[in-house]
Amino acid sequence: MTEIGRLAIVFGWMVALWGIIASLAGAWRRDRSLIASGTHAAYAFSALTAIAVAALLDALLTRDFNVEYVAAYSSTTLPTWYTIAALWGGMKGSLLWWTFILAVCNSIVQFQNREKNRDLMPYVTAVMLSVGAFFLALLVFVTDPFERLPFTPVEGSDLNPLLQNYWMTIHPPSLYIGYVTTTVPFAFAIAALASGKLGDVWIRTTRRWALFSWFFLTLGNLFGAAWAYVVLGWGGYWAWDPVENAAFMPWLTATAFLHSVMIQEKKGMLKVWNMVLVILTFSLTIFGTFLTRSGVISSVHSFTQSGLGPFFMGFLLVILVASLALLIYRLPLLRSRNELESIFSREAAFLLNNLVLVGIAFTVFWGTVFPVISEWVRSVKITVGPPFFNRVNAPLAVALVFLMGVGPVIAWRRATLASLWRTSFGPALAAVTCGAVVFAGGARNYYAVVAFSIATFALTVMASEFWRGTRARQAMMHEGAWTALSRLIGKNRRRYGGYVIHVGVAMVFIGVVASSVFKVEAQKTVKIGESVEIGAYRLRYDGIRVDDGPHVLRTIAQVSVWKADGDKLSPIASVTPEKRFYKKPRQPTTEVSIWSTLGGDLYVVLGSFDPQSQLATFQAYINPLVCWMWIGGVVMALGTVICMWPTLAERTSPVEARVPVGTRVAE
Amino acid sequence: MRPRRASARGARAVALIAIGLVLLASAPPRADAAIATQQAVEEALTCQCGCGLTVHSCNHLQCNSATPLKREIAEQIASGQTEEQILEYFEHKYGEKILSAPGTSGFNLTAWVVPYLGIGLGGLLIGVVLARWRRGSTPVPSGEHSAPSHPPAPPGTADNQDLRARLERELEEYDRRS
Repeated sequence: MTEIGRLAIVFGWMVALWGIIASLAGAWRRDRSLIASGTHAAYAFSALTAIAVAALLDALLTRDFNVEYVAAYSSTTLPTWYTIAALWGGMKGSLLWWTFILAVCNSIVQFQNREKNRDLMPYVTAVMLSVGAFFLALLVFVTDPFERLPFTPVEGSDLNPLLQNYWMTIHPPSLYIGYVTTTVPFAFAIAALASGKLGDVWIRTTRRWALFSWFFLTLGNLFGAAWAYVVLGWGGYWAWDPVENAAFMPWLTATAFLHSVMIQEKKGMLKVWNMVLVILTFSLTIFGTFLTRSGVISSVHSFTQSGLGPFFMGFLLVILVASLALLIYRLPLLRSRNELESIFSREAAFLLNNLVLVGIAFTVFWGTVFPVISEWVRSVKITVGPPFFNRVNAPLAVALVFLMGVGPVIAWRRATLASLWRTSFGPALAAVTCGAVVFAGGARNYYAVVAFSIATFALTVMASEFWRGTRARQAMMHEGAWTALSRLIGKNRRRYGGYVIHVGVAMVFIGVVASSVFKVEAQKTVKIGESVEIGAYRLRYDGIRVDDGPHVLRTIAQVSVWKADGDKLSPIASVTPEKRFYKKPRQPTTEVSIWSTLGGDLYVVLGSFDPQSQLATFQAYINPLVCWMWIGGVVMALGTVICMWPTLAERTSPVEARVPVGTRVAE
Repeated sequence: MRPRRASARGARAVALIAIGLVLLASAPPRADAAIATQQAVEEALTCQCGCGLTVHSCNHLQCNSATPLKREIAEQIASGQTEEQILEYFEHKYGEKILSAPGTSGFNLTAWVVPYLGIGLGGLLIGVVLARWRRGSTPVPSGEHSAPSHPPAPPGTADNQDLRARLERELEEYDRRS
């Protein structure tokens, strides 16, 4: 089966090359048959990549340890679910997985556009197959996922225990889908530049793909944070690790794009800037892939110090040079009649929003690469860690949330002070009240007081938008409140879906601020029956249980949790933090136990245990409001689904511009 | 207020807002010359075990790096050193890489300055762009509503001026009532 997989990636690469040539030649020569051949090549590329993935999966599930990848990332005792996850657990498998997702996207794009966008599609096909060909070339010529060992080990090395976690099975696929699907808007943007069809067709065609990509980048980042939170045992969820930063940067530029594209749709402005954002977003995904595989910057996420770094850097340079060259070439066609009646307008607010988002992305990029730059310039290794990123990004995040609240209350084209005052007075009052309450509650961290106030402002603005819209519908249509609300959202999905996303963002922001600024920590070594005090909680160490299985040895602490209620202590929960020892890779891990409420998490870690004395060292954290992050993520996902959901008209109307393949269409 | 002066003032306002964002971030951290705390110093140093976390956050208990560093920090604090002095001690002993953020002198200053500079320049650029767009626009009556539903008459005609004046009056009346 692996031989079939090897043949599949070789033929897949060759088919991709043919598809690129046929598509470009067909576009230049206006040859319908060549263009069709390129389309068929795209489908064939998908089929061959799927065969390769199936072959590797088969090798993993049948424990074919003669395959080097299988021996390195699985074992006879690895549970089936994690054996499947091993497909993307190692570098070679992750590259194949990336290519497979790209191939699936390519096929979907081909099918969606089978009867439209005929001028763009040959170039779209060429770009997507070019990216696919690059990844397959790595697998064919540099790092073969089906490489066989000269012998067959009786047992594999097993998957890294840190990866044997529920979140780890969904975090990489989500992030990869988010990364890979940025290729679609990029391909259409390049196609628009190459073909000269620089109207809004490419934007409209790829709007849902851009949202889809953003959706999975959001989920991927949040799943990664959740994984770090529940697995790593340091009480946090984001360490500004270079690979975390690499996943965050394209999310930021994609967010900027989703906002600025509205200006292009409404006013035909910012055409060049939107092109830049799409190119930048895709480039950052390649840069992130480069970071994880080059070893240039050390990270706990790095696969290995492989030899792939120069290839990715070369590919990234080709992307940037070619894209920017095309953009410069087409600048005269991208000029638009830029008009703005007033600086106090939603257009200006969106520009500031873009400034902040791209500013944060630049800061994160600069902080990530600065250690490398410093070493080049001074030959001195330095570290750029959380204090730098938090210090620079925190006020920018506050500014972003503020703009999130201002956007809905400021009018397009021109806003008056009177209208601004009318729509923002209530939210501003709520913000000041919140700040006063937080301050009166004892908070003396000025950043937290300001941050909570600004978040309250934004949330109140969103709430008032829903309230006013619902009330207006009730008055006009004589509908009940819930009917009016649901129809309000249904008839304005982009707008109100966007507001729901903003609510989610504000919730995530509140969770981050609270859990960062007001975190409480304690560490103590205790014997059975003794307690650890933290905040209003008392943790009583009740005993230890050992569970010795074939795959892992578990040492489980029994801890009962008591909470102060006035002068009284009441039992409220039990937590069971663990130490694990995975037998195959002979690696210890820590399993955190979390008791979660809306107000915050009690996070307990079993640091160490002495079997002779039965003494145990516990680390405990109180992370206020941290679950607001996860709930906010769900809200963001819900808002995105609302935005992406097709309207009735879109579901039932005929496909626009049904035109025979290869026919030129004037725009 | 003349439109051109208004656009210039507005552009300056936007530029100032952008620069304000930059200034809103406080200056690069200066170690408190007062009493040092164990946690603050641990957060200012990077664990060398490869976890990528600060000494305080390192999740490896009995870590070969974090554990002795924490003891050393406690000894330094007990000897009465300030936070700045302690960080200088560790930097001298282990090299700059032990610090979890770049210093504020020499080439390291660029780590802090460049992001602010970039955002400030971006803000100025936006201000210039907005001012240019403002100059290129056709004035419409103030109010929160978009342009009238019918296409505007060519500028400069008497009908257009009358219509614009009437629209402005009605929009002001709407604002007043609501």
